[in-house]
Amino acid sequence: MVELTKKQYLDLYYYMKLNRLLEERLVNLYRQGKVIGGLYRSLGQEATSVGSAYALEPGDIVSPLIRNLGSLLVKGVKPREVLTQYMARATSPTRGRDLNVHFGDLERGFIGPISMLGDMISVLAGMALAARMQGKRTVALTYIGDGATSTGAFHEGMNFASVQKLPLVVIAEHNAYAYSTPTSKQMNIKNIADRALAYGIAAEIVDGNDVLKVYEVTRRAVERARNGEGTMFIESKTFRRKGHAEHDDQRYVPKELLQEWEKKDPIDRYERFLLDQAIAAGAELQEIVERINQELDEDVRYAEESPFPDPETALGGVYAEEPKTTTVPGD
Amino acid sequence: MRASDEVELKMLYYMKLARELETRIERKLYRQGKIVGGVYVGRGQEAISVGSVIHSRSGDVISPCHRDMGAFLIRGVSPGRILAQYMGRKSGLTRGRDGNMHMGDLKHGLIAFVSHLGDSVPVAVGIALSFKLRRQPNVEFCIFGDGATSTGAFHEGINFASVQQLPIVFICNNNQYAYSTPLRLQMNIKRVAERAAAYGIPAETIDGNDVLAVYETVGRAVERARSGGGPMFIECVTFRMTGHSAHDDARYVPQEAFQEWAKKDPILRLEKALKKKRLINGQGLKELDERIAREVDEAVEWAEAQPYPEPQECLENVYYAPELEGAKTNA
Repeated sequence: MVELTKKQYLDLYYYMKLNRLLEERLVNLYRQGKVIGGLYRSLGQEATSVGSAYALEPGDIVSPLIRNLGSLLVKGVKPREVLTQYMARATSPTRGRDLNVHFGDLERGFIGPISMLGDMISVLAGMALAARMQGKRTVALTYIGDGATSTGAFHEGMNFASVQKLPLVVIAEHNAYAYSTPTSKQMNIKNIADRALAYGIAAEIVDGNDVLKVYEVTRRAVERARNGEGTMFIESKTFRRKGHAEHDDQRYVPKELLQEWEKKDPIDRYERFLLDQAIAAGAELQEIVERINQELDEDVRYAEESPFPDPETALGGVYAEEPKTTTVPGD
Repeated sequence: MRASDEVELKMLYYMKLARELETRIERKLYRQGKIVGGVYVGRGQEAISVGSVIHSRSGDVISPCHRDMGAFLIRGVSPGRILAQYMGRKSGLTRGRDGNMHMGDLKHGLIAFVSHLGDSVPVAVGIALSFKLRRQPNVEFCIFGDGATSTGAFHEGINFASVQQLPIVFICNNNQYAYSTPLRLQMNIKRVAERAAAYGIPAETIDGNDVLAVYETVGRAVERARSGGGPMFIECVTFRMTGHSAHDDARYVPQEAFQEWAKKDPILRLEKALKKKRLINGQGLKELDERIAREVDEAVEWAEAQPYPEPQECLENVYYAPELEGAKTNA
């Protein structure tokens, strides 16, 4: 088992809890009609996002998917940025042009996902290649769902990354459903990790609801990639405990599965671990939750008070106003 | 599944006929300026299409690639029509609309290949799906190259075929070059067959220059597919004894590789094996060669006498026309 400092242990707790509580606030806002567009939950999958992104170093780059809000929080995104994005306010990172986690910031090392699932593998492989050509030791991390491993974009990106031995870490979040399609109707293999055999890429399977295990395996993969040993594929076994989005009642998911996975909740598990190992006292964890709630109260207020973008500015910031050279962040 | 004496002799005939026909096209007619467009030959790779397609029955569909002349001959397309196709004549399979191996004929169960390699795979998979839906006891023969397995289209097609357990045999012609890209720059695995593990498809790697091995392995796969056992992946290792096409001098291929593979010529090998079994002697081979040369002479003469299409008919048969209704896959 990986040894962390107390601060690191509590960081992981903070980010997972923030991930969940922020989403719960978003659900309330969604029901109040204050969220524009869909709301995509990562209930029960917080450990995968947080544990993996926490394994990165400053200068590394990550691209989250719609259920990787936690990765963005680890990268320094503030709740108010996410709230204003979901509410399409003028103060949001995309100034109300795009929604939810569809925003990026190269300074902080994350880029917004492409909605077409699978497409980020090629993009991140390209960024890893660019960084290497620029002589940087940047590692790129991205995620893919079980369904997206059936796309051509995944295949082409993974194959290229392996041939080029790119410093790329791909986390396949096996949450058992691609919208309403169960994995058994999506692929004729039990473990998504088997996909990696086709590319000669090293692969590991991890319990995606165990934040420490996710951190540990990602950490190894990141170090390996940084040392020039190439791409790694990690299958994180977890479960999507909500519908594809808030508007989907997921009646196609057997109730027993939901009950079974609720018992494996990654935050409950981690809380028990911290208490059992006497890493933190109950009061300390309670303090963290209170701090998060305060932060969220403030940021929800900020978002609600933020104006919508002025219709007259709709075209601003959509097209490039002046040529700007973009470089991949790194050391 | 071993070939009978009769089948062995038949395979020798088709391999020789394919070679002679392609040699005439590539080394004579092309140089005489009588061929419209490029010329792609399967010299040294004849065992793959012949050893596979010889198993096809009426109602089966073949999706050949541009190096699978044997497939056309076995399915009963006359050398004359093939030559007319290469010369852009009205009597060619596409009536002068398309050139060279870009031809198909549903009456013979042959689908024209899509130039973008890999794209034929989902088409072939769709045909196999139609067999399943119609409960037809037919099999789809899908032939493609090593390079095509790096495309997204291949990935999406083969994954679907496995999930649906379709009656299809995937035959990979691994001739070690994708145009000028050698295998090692194309994929980070030793055997293309390793790709199959990603789909849960059983796979075998065989000597693609041994027509008897191709016959035996594909025969098993076809039986399996026909009896509802699902797809199989067969990698036939061979070598492209020419450039990508007649206009490519292949200077990027080491000369020693050509010399080494010339010794493994599939026709010479089969001749030797059949002589040893006393199925044919020197005199018999001489007569066979003469018969084939005559057949091709006559076909060339016929094709050269065929008219070009009239310019005013150029739009005919390009778009769907009801008179083609009869040409169904189950004809």
